[in-house]
Amino acid sequence: MSRKVIPFVVAFVLICLVMAVAALFSFGGFAKAEKFEGDVVWSQPYSTAESMKVINLMGDDNDELFIQNTGNVTIFDGSGNILFSKDYQFPKTTLGDVNGDNREDVVVYYLGDLGYSVDLIDNGQVSTLAQSLSIGNPARVAVLRFSSGPQIVLGDTSGRLLSLSLSGQPLWEYQVGGEEIRGLDDARINGQIHLSAASHDGSLAVLDQDGGVVWSTSQESLRRMRAFDFNSDGNSEILTGGEFGAFVVYSATDGSQLYTQGMGQAVSEIREVELNGEPSSREFVVGGKDGGVWAYSIQNGVVDPMWTGSLSDKVTEISGIDVNGDGTEEAVLGDDSGTVAVFTGDGSRNNLENHSTGITRIDVGRLNGERYVVIADYTNVQVNKVNFNSIPGFQYTPLIVGIIVSAAILIIAAILASIPKKPELKVSFQDKSKESLEAERRMLKESIADVERLRKSGEVTGDAYLARLKRLRADLADNEAAFKAAGFPIKVETIQCPNCGGTLELGMDKCEYCGQVLLS
Amino acid sequence: MEAIVCGGGILLIVVLIVFFYLLNTARKRVTETNSLGKKQLLPVYISLADKPTSIIQGMNKLRLDVQKTEKAGDKWRWVPLMIFFAGVGLMLVDGILLLFGYFSYVFTGGGVALWIAAIVMARGLRKSDSYDFSTRYNGTRDILYTLRDDLKPGSTFLGHLDLTGSLLPTKVARTSKDAQSRETEYFRDEWLALKAKLYDGNVLRVSGIQKSKKRKSYWKRSRISGKMKSKPEKFKGTAQDLKVRIVPNPEVYKIAKTSNEFKQGLNIGKFTISQLSTEGGMISFVANSPFEDVDHENILQVLKSAYTLLQRKAA
Repeated sequence: MSRKVIPFVVAFVLICLVMAVAALFSFGGFAKAEKFEGDVVWSQPYSTAESMKVINLMGDDNDELFIQNTGNVTIFDGSGNILFSKDYQFPKTTLGDVNGDNREDVVVYYLGDLGYSVDLIDNGQVSTLAQSLSIGNPARVAVLRFSSGPQIVLGDTSGRLLSLSLSGQPLWEYQVGGEEIRGLDDARINGQIHLSAASHDGSLAVLDQDGGVVWSTSQESLRRMRAFDFNSDGNSEILTGGEFGAFVVYSATDGSQLYTQGMGQAVSEIREVELNGEPSSREFVVGGKDGGVWAYSIQNGVVDPMWTGSLSDKVTEISGIDVNGDGTEEAVLGDDSGTVAVFTGDGSRNNLENHSTGITRIDVGRLNGERYVVIADYTNVQVNKVNFNSIPGFQYTPLIVGIIVSAAILIIAAILASIPKKPELKVSFQDKSKESLEAERRMLKESIADVERLRKSGEVTGDAYLARLKRLRADLADNEAAFKAAGFPIKVETIQCPNCGGTLELGMDKCEYCGQVLLS
Repeated sequence: MEAIVCGGGILLIVVLIVFFYLLNTARKRVTETNSLGKKQLLPVYISLADKPTSIIQGMNKLRLDVQKTEKAGDKWRWVPLMIFFAGVGLMLVDGILLLFGYFSYVFTGGGVALWIAAIVMARGLRKSDSYDFSTRYNGTRDILYTLRDDLKPGSTFLGHLDLTGSLLPTKVARTSKDAQSRETEYFRDEWLALKAKLYDGNVLRVSGIQKSKKRKSYWKRSRISGKMKSKPEKFKGTAQDLKVRIVPNPEVYKIAKTSNEFKQGLNIGKFTISQLSTEGGMISFVANSPFEDVDHENILQVLKSAYTLLQRKAA
């Protein structure tokens, strides 16, 4: 192939490769310029929120912001004004329609003047449901709508459960392990509501409306337990995250393990997030104590890992928010260093503005008719308007870059093809006349004789002698070839070694250069 | 943070290496030297078996071809550096996007691709570079030009011009070891071999031989620390021998016994006549020069002086 064509052939192949990669990036959706920005709408001081929810609690058709910490329960209106605030000792709260007015009420389990008590906050009015309860320090509280009617279930720091009727009458008690209750959730079995409860020592139990055990088990120390009916078949899946990294999915029906994986770090949070917008599958995100983030999809009881990511510190909160209004939720995660990151459905990460202290709670909802993201850290609660921006048509930039690179490759090929071949540096100026060839032959033989004489006199030894001899004999062979080419008669005096290709004198029975025995 | 600083440092070093490689390509090639500090020269080997004009034209053409290739490459020397900066420009687009809060790697990827293309081009251009021709190349051409009219009509110059280097392993004539087992190599480089049948019937044979000496590198134990140390190879010196044999046409010349202009021990230019023999109807002599390079004028001067030993017979 011509020397001028080869660079263009190589360039063509490279251009095809470059454009193929560019097309893959463009049409595979790998090239994106997207960002999520958060503008602070209002902020109020509120320290160490434990529970937070945007929800309508005041009966005015507008959602309010409910928030609770270790010593207070407060309700803000959409503009950040306090509608309700009351201090409690060690309060734990849950939301549920206790009085049947079709509006959520706040149930507060706390230590009162008359012992452990339960208050109901309805439309800003506080009423006490029960007092002097025989239970310990508050750990969790839940309102469960059993088939026989709603119950308020309290869990304390020693693993004890106490169920109350809506009028505050104790119904049943149960002991789950011997440490703090870390999870209290409603789990469905054949469409019927049951209670799933887990304590820090790893005990896990599913109870019926009478406090009867459906099944129970134990595993390594637990940090988190949540129950979801992922496939809407009326049977929930119970997810647990262990202190030593065990992530287990149980079937609520019989306690069988559907999925288990070691995460390599303690599991600090588990939340459901609709990451792919596909209604037939459900997704959930798991956060780790060392900042690990894992997304899973569950469909027909089969759990599939989707992607992994990371934050720089303990994941303290996960929330699913459809920031860009495309019908799929983004996972908004907060960590203990104050970072708030938005993970999109494919796992790409975008940071929102950092907070100066660790994030405790994140929620989303409509306040004053606008959709906001509410972020609580160790000192403040902040209401943000989160915007999604992307550069239109950016997905095609790989094609533009590919064209630029291809143009450069083409220019380089053209330049390299325009450079002439470097001339051969071993040249021979040879006259083809018979006299000249004969004279050259004589000269070469004289030179060979000279080399032999030098060897005999000891002036030249070893490799230098052979190298010089080899070159002269090769020239002699060339001379013979020139004789033959010109059609002059010539007595051939050289042969070629079949092993090394070196030229030898006719009649030699061993190659001087490589030692090959010759049978000619 | 440490990982970022470390990675960034390595990246910066790589970028600087690429930049200076391309900058050196862009600038005119500097003279390269070998391990002994000798200037690298173009390794040319020419077999001579042609008429003077053909040889001289061929040598001129070879020089022109080498220069043409080099000049063709010289024209585009700045292009790789420009492509490098185009790559930087593309990467800056990603930087600007980052300033606006968008994270993109597309333009950076394109920039890296351009850098690779620039390196490939720079390598291609460097291949068109050539070392300088040895002064012996022009000198030999001038000798052939000077002797062109003295050549017997229709005959050719025979021999070779070997400028591939005087310190090649194939040119080691012998080796020796001293008391400390240090090996010294003796090189014999017959860079010029020329035979010509002259107009007056004489036959002239000229050999230009460079003899060099080099001590090979060796390991030595330090007397103070006891550590083994490597000593580099050392160039111990070089000298030129000019071996000439003139076989005069006995019908035209007789050889004089002595000549004041040509006798043993006489200095002619950079040469000293060290051996001289006029026996057997031929003049054989060796002229030495302690210089690494001798001018072609000196060689011609020696040949001219040697002719003073020839006395034309009466017609």
